[in-house]
Amino acid sequence: MTSTVLEFNSEIAGLFGKEVMERSGQNLYACYQCKRCASGCPAGEDAEYVTPDRLIRNIIMGDREKALNNLLVWKCVSCYTCGTRCPNNIHSSRITETLKKMSKESHLKPLRPKVFFFHDTFIKNSLRWGRVNELEFMGLFEIMNTLNVLKKRVVKPIIDEIINQAKFGLSMVKKKRLHPGFQASKGRHEIRRLYKKENKKWK
Amino acid sequence: MEIAYYPGCSLHSSSALYDLQTRLVLKKLGINLNEISDWNCCGATSAGKIDDFLAVIMPARNLGIADASGFPEMVIPCSACYSKTLMAQKHLENDLDLKNKINAEFSKKVTGSIKISSILEVLLANLNELTGQANKKLIGLKPVCYYGCMLTRFPYDLPVPDNVENPKGMETILKTLDANPIDWSYKTDCCGASASVNDEEMAFSLMSKIMQDALARGANCFVVTCPMCQLNMDAYQDKFCEKHGIDKRLPVFFITECVGLALGMGIKELQIDRHFIDGEGLLKELDIV
Repeated sequence: MTSTVLEFNSEIAGLFGKEVMERSGQNLYACYQCKRCASGCPAGEDAEYVTPDRLIRNIIMGDREKALNNLLVWKCVSCYTCGTRCPNNIHSSRITETLKKMSKESHLKPLRPKVFFFHDTFIKNSLRWGRVNELEFMGLFEIMNTLNVLKKRVVKPIIDEIINQAKFGLSMVKKKRLHPGFQASKGRHEIRRLYKKENKKWK
Repeated sequence: MEIAYYPGCSLHSSSALYDLQTRLVLKKLGINLNEISDWNCCGATSAGKIDDFLAVIMPARNLGIADASGFPEMVIPCSACYSKTLMAQKHLENDLDLKNKINAEFSKKVTGSIKISSILEVLLANLNELTGQANKKLIGLKPVCYYGCMLTRFPYDLPVPDNVENPKGMETILKTLDANPIDWSYKTDCCGASASVNDEEMAFSLMSKIMQDALARGANCFVVTCPMCQLNMDAYQDKFCEKHGIDKRLPVFFITECVGLALGMGIKELQIDRHFIDGEGLLKELDIV
């Protein structure tokens, strides 16, 4: 039998925790693992260790790899239930949002590519025109998705997805819920200008 | 009464019926909506996942336009737009540095003066006018009021106009219209929002639980304020019910549809025929239309 010792570099562990806390605005050291967040989490309830308390623990322990690879980062639906129930007012959805961005900056593959493509395409579409045009947005999202699945050299899921989305699209047309019209806002130029001025980049 | 109005992208596309109903119903109650000019997308839940700066500046531009409009109040019927705009307003109240940067660039300046209201706040403030004008009783309508996430939960300290875990605004309105709203456990649970597109399995599991509780309580419809909840629970209902072995179906009404019906408006006028799950049958059976 061997005994195991927790090995960690306090400086690196501290820096990771500090970055997450600064960017998310959440004081993770206030967490005392009561798991009220876990009991209310709609995304984490079916899977082991995919709950906010586990994610917070990963971060406090300085385990950057485990934290960025915690499935909750991508499964979190930002419903804010954990945060409203936390006795220490920690909003874990702000943490998953922060880790999504850190994961991207570290060039890690998103654990749920569809989730990343969705939000990325949504924001690109809304900045391109100032408003979201659902047809174009959903089309681009599906293309991103298809290209990603193609990399795995499998065709069946793509065909299934196309049939699935075509059926759904048709039902939207039938109920007049799909608008062929185009919407835009000139304000996009102001937003893009300010974004550029602040040297902000997300890609 | 004149107030500002921010529809958001949804109400100008897949949920255009909600835009139309909101205008019709509030006009009837004597409230004139002034859509703010050249508004942009609020960034919805996506902006915060991609870039924190965008998550503030996108709704901030709309706030500037709204502040400059001179109206004291702006109604935002979409829950996501309401939540994001309210949070940006609160954020800029505390972050003067960012506020100055924004105001240096945008033509319309954020002052923080406008009051952001949800559709429920506006309807509740005009409840007397509504009861006075209502000429059709919603007797027999047994809705479960489904609020979803964005109306009461925020990752900021914000004064929430209703109870966070057990809001009652919709019930109050529906009771005055003689409907019989049913108490249930899933009123602020999440439908999955965009997960219906990017994580179907999880979203369908969440929606089926909401559906099962509604049926177990004996409800005959849902009433919602959020266009995302409405589209999810309505457009995907056949799919998630089939997957989770649920036989029954429930129509998903917007609160504006219930109010419109009580004010004597019809199915066609309110465009209730644009639902996926038929609501007309129930309304006819109850003699509401």
